[in-house]
Amino acid sequence: MRNTAKIVVVGLVLAACAYSLVQVPWAWSMGSRVPTVGVQAEDFRLTDLSGKEQSLSQYRGKIVLVNFWATWCKPCTTEMPAMQTVYDKLRDKGFVVLAVNELEDEARVREHIAAYKHTFPVLLDHDNKVANQFGVFGLPVSVFIDQEGRVQEYLKGGLLTEQKIDETIARIQKQSR
Amino acid sequence: MSKCIKSHAGLAGLCALMLVCSLIAPTPSRASCGAVSCFVVIGSQQQVPQEGMLTINGMYNYTPMRLLSGTNGIIPAADQANQRLILDHHQETRTITQTYTLDMNYGVTDRVALQVTVPYLRRKHGHIDEIGESATEFGENANFADNGIGDVRLTAKYNLLPTLRNLVVLGFGMDLPTGDTRARDSLDNVLESSGQLGRGHVGLIGSIYQTYELMPHRLNQFAYGSYRHTFRNRDGYQFGDEFLFNFGLNLVTLPWLVVTNQFNYRYLVHDNVRANLEQSRPPFFGDDPIGIDPTIMNRAVSSTGSTYFAYTPGIQVSLGDLVSSSWTDATAVYFYTQIPIARDANNNLSQGTSFIFGITKSFQLIKPAA
Repeated sequence: MRNTAKIVVVGLVLAACAYSLVQVPWAWSMGSRVPTVGVQAEDFRLTDLSGKEQSLSQYRGKIVLVNFWATWCKPCTTEMPAMQTVYDKLRDKGFVVLAVNELEDEARVREHIAAYKHTFPVLLDHDNKVANQFGVFGLPVSVFIDQEGRVQEYLKGGLLTEQKIDETIARIQKQSR
Repeated sequence: MSKCIKSHAGLAGLCALMLVCSLIAPTPSRASCGAVSCFVVIGSQQQVPQEGMLTINGMYNYTPMRLLSGTNGIIPAADQANQRLILDHHQETRTITQTYTLDMNYGVTDRVALQVTVPYLRRKHGHIDEIGESATEFGENANFADNGIGDVRLTAKYNLLPTLRNLVVLGFGMDLPTGDTRARDSLDNVLESSGQLGRGHVGLIGSIYQTYELMPHRLNQFAYGSYRHTFRNRDGYQFGDEFLFNFGLNLVTLPWLVVTNQFNYRYLVHDNVRANLEQSRPPFFGDDPIGIDPTIMNRAVSSTGSTYFAYTPGIQVSLGDLVSSSWTDATAVYFYTQIPIARDANNNLSQGTSFIFGITKSFQLIKPAA
């Protein structure tokens, strides 16, 4: 009886290990894809709140702030007003915000965006694919992408302020001149 | 029931390479008590914090052990100092262990964490000793109490699958022999190894922790498995290998309240002592035990080892979501009750309903690199 129990436990642990090992290449690729600064950002396609498909590549020629967020994430919602302010200020000067929501109901996202009157594009990453593509496993994460589609800054945690966004945009613009 | 465990000479050699332990001449030791702590999954302990973040857990754990109905608690004495294993030599009464644990978990990188777990134990134990040696009494009451640091655990963890929805963390830990192994009972005998605060030698632990967000930020599934091997201590006593398996669900009910339900399974292999084999006389016989096998060899202690399956409901309250202040930011308190469902303790004391109360707080010590 005890031997059987032991075998069952060891079997379960080994099965979990085997599962992980089988997933290793996938895991490595998912977990290690924090894009290197200066490297071309991998394109993605996601649906926005109006049901329209948007891609990263369609914003080539603009500076893009890709922000990964969720309504339950306090630092995320704390930094969103700063994103909105800069978006309002620079949207006609070649700057765009793509707020990529992670794994939440569309209704909840829609409610939040309406409540805070955000006007930047909000994309829905229902299957977590784009977050994995960008090595995101904690929220928020902000990725600045230049006019040529290269990653210029990768920020983890609630670090975005209006000043930080302005400075980063100015630096990217300066580099591209 | 398994009756013995094999010696692990190879692993002992590995251990010797990993840590130099002091060797002290053995002193008298008796009895064959049981002492465990309850074990649950508290997510902040198993995870890898983000780079530069220190997560501190302060935990109180109350674990009573009593005899199960249908058992009489008459068990062998493992007198490792004199290399004697004496069958039916004493009767267990109870053990109560209170553990105050300080657990520090630091994210070296987003994938790698180092963890130090320091337990402070308060243990009380009672049993009847020397059965059969008196013609007028069943045995002699022996009480034991000791407080102090237990075996400190160092763990290195690797986040194998870091994503928002999945998490698989592998761990490799080492129990250091920092706990007391020579405390004496009320009869001035050194209590046997299994009742002491420390195990007396290094233990190696391999673990795997997995979580999956079934409903993101609403319902989370987790599983944890671990294996511990402890080497034979200087008294010739070796704690049996330990297998743990936990499975559970976390449900976010309110933004600040997480309800947890988990099942915990523990299998402990028999302890092992280097000794001869003797048999106690019947109660009130009034003579010393008689020899069965004078050969000094590694022998399983039949009353040790156990199987334990428990249900553990609990709650975790995020103080930062209740009150906004620097004191409550990234702070949570939790309470768990571990309720046994199935137990087999080989006629020894068995863990009863246990309680865990704790507080966890995270500090971002170093700004994470981009």
